Amino acid sequence: MSANGAKNISVQYFAMLREQRGLSKESLATHAQSAAALYEELRFQHGFTLPLERMRVIVNESFQPWDVSLSEGDEVVFVPPVAGG
Amino acid sequence: MFALSTSPIDARALQDAMRRPEAGAFVCFEGWVRNTNEGRTVTLLEYEAFEAVACSEGSHILHEARERFGLLDARCAHRVGALAIGDMAVWVGVVSGHRGEAFAACRYIIDEVKKRVPIWKKEHYSDGDSGWVNCECHCGAEVHVHAEPVTEAQLYARQVCLPEVSQEGQDRLRRGRVLIVGAGGLGCPAALYLAAAGVGEIGICDSDTVDASNLHRQILFGIQDIGAPKAERAVDRIKSMYPFTIFTPYPERLTDKNAMEMFCKHDIILDCTDNFEVKFLINDAAVLSKKSAVFASIYQWEGQVQVYQPGTETPCLRCQWPDMPEPDCVRTCAEAGVLGAVPGVFGAMQALEALKLLLGRPALPGLLLFDLLSGQPHRAGLKRSASCPVCGTNPTIRSVDPANYGDGLDVEVEGAGEGNGTFDGFEVIDIREPQEIRERPLAGLKSTAIPASRFEQDSLPLSTDGRYLLCCAHGARSKYLARRLRARGYPHVFSLKGGAEALV
Repeated sequence: MSANGAKNISVQYFAMLREQRGLSKESLATHAQSAAALYEELRFQHGFTLPLERMRVIVNESFQPWDVSLSEGDEVVFVPPVAGG
Repeated sequence: MFALSTSPIDARALQDAMRRPEAGAFVCFEGWVRNTNEGRTVTLLEYEAFEAVACSEGSHILHEARERFGLLDARCAHRVGALAIGDMAVWVGVVSGHRGEAFAACRYIIDEVKKRVPIWKKEHYSDGDSGWVNCECHCGAEVHVHAEPVTEAQLYARQVCLPEVSQEGQDRLRRGRVLIVGAGGLGCPAALYLAAAGVGEIGICDSDTVDASNLHRQILFGIQDIGAPKAERAVDRIKSMYPFTIFTPYPERLTDKNAMEMFCKHDIILDCTDNFEVKFLINDAAVLSKKSAVFASIYQWEGQVQVYQPGTETPCLRCQWPDMPEPDCVRTCAEAGVLGAVPGVFGAMQALEALKLLLGRPALPGLLLFDLLSGQPHRAGLKRSASCPVCGTNPTIRSVDPANYGDGLDVEVEGAGEGNGTFDGFEVIDIREPQEIRERPLAGLKSTAIPASRFEQDSLPLSTDGRYLLCCAHGARSKYLARRLRARGYPHVFSLKGGAEALV
């Protein structure tokens, strides 16, 4: 944990989010308590067009509810609506 | 086994690897890259996957399918990277003892893969544009959420500028509460126009389910709604379109038991039904609860609209028809046929009349008849009748009595008869003509013969507190007469169901 209480989180972006962010992976320091709060923070910063309700979140390689709390070193992936097949 | 692959999928090799002696059925699905999507020409597809989770989630789906359908084997391969038109994007194969579970499992796997596996698809179009499927504005499957919220001012801008509406009128519409009885050919367009205009609350009452033969005129429903309850499905559909209106489904038949309570929660009632029993119930309940009602009926190419507004000179249905006509005297849409646009016109007119009433405009006077085949409109001047049994100066109908709507009039032979040749407590009146009675006397039943025509006279051989059971040949004439006698102030008149035939 950094000196000011922020957590270091690694975030991975796919598809539309990757394009809107302009990169596929980053490490950032955040005060966000939950995955939802982190997404809203990043959505505001980067102008993501997809609302939270249409997204899902993976924390440390498993799908989690949006109110999951974040810890130092977590790996977060925001998952846009999928379209395989 | 779930695999992601950057090179073309070898379907033959995958299939051969699944062969085994116990297998009786092999079903496979291949997804190919198509050259159009939602009307746009697609030139190229790019697939992107979150590999670790895609493989674990994909394997999980295959495991679920094996367990659930008792499969011998299930596999799936999915491409990533750039694909051209015609390329295979996904392959699913299942092997089982019999074909039933193989078909079902194959379907299950591809549906779940599309929903759950983190794979994304970017389409490149012939115009140089591109977009992520399910993520962009043009996606069809999910509701697009606008970045900018839509205001009511934007939605109603084009009607607020009408001098007859204005912002004040729009506020009146928002306070309006309309009940639509019958979610059919009339009710569907009426509901759409009322909601689109910004009416605040709309109730939809219908006990029926959607039939394939309804779809050509009942435009709130599609193929996928067949078999679903109309009131609930109509509300589901329409509330996704008009979020500023509160919709309430009443998936029940309008009856003497629920009509008054339902009407009290609304300002205007739309009669979008196709039968006299409910029309007259709506009429009486509207008069008694002091609510306005907009009636419409259609027959093949023609239809009619009539508005009742309490406290005005507009007549109710009983001003012209004191007694309900025989239920079977007109043919329904099922029998007579109808083109969907015809109830569409009249349902839209009902919505229009309801909007005018909410805006405080005068009600449509009289009856508007319109033959849409010839394009010939006709206005009939109707007047309120002082002798109307429900809205007149001295009404005989003071509550919604089930006997007035075809229900409760019939007495069944079984149950009412005591088996001793009499119907306990009833004076039986045989209303057939003398000739008919001679040909077929009532079998062992004590009765008085008074032909139906005798009841047309002013003085009747009945007492108002007497209990009478009318009998004719088949039960139709006696039911008609019983209803009329009740409306004339003889509340305990019944009809023998099935008539003389039923006694044999």
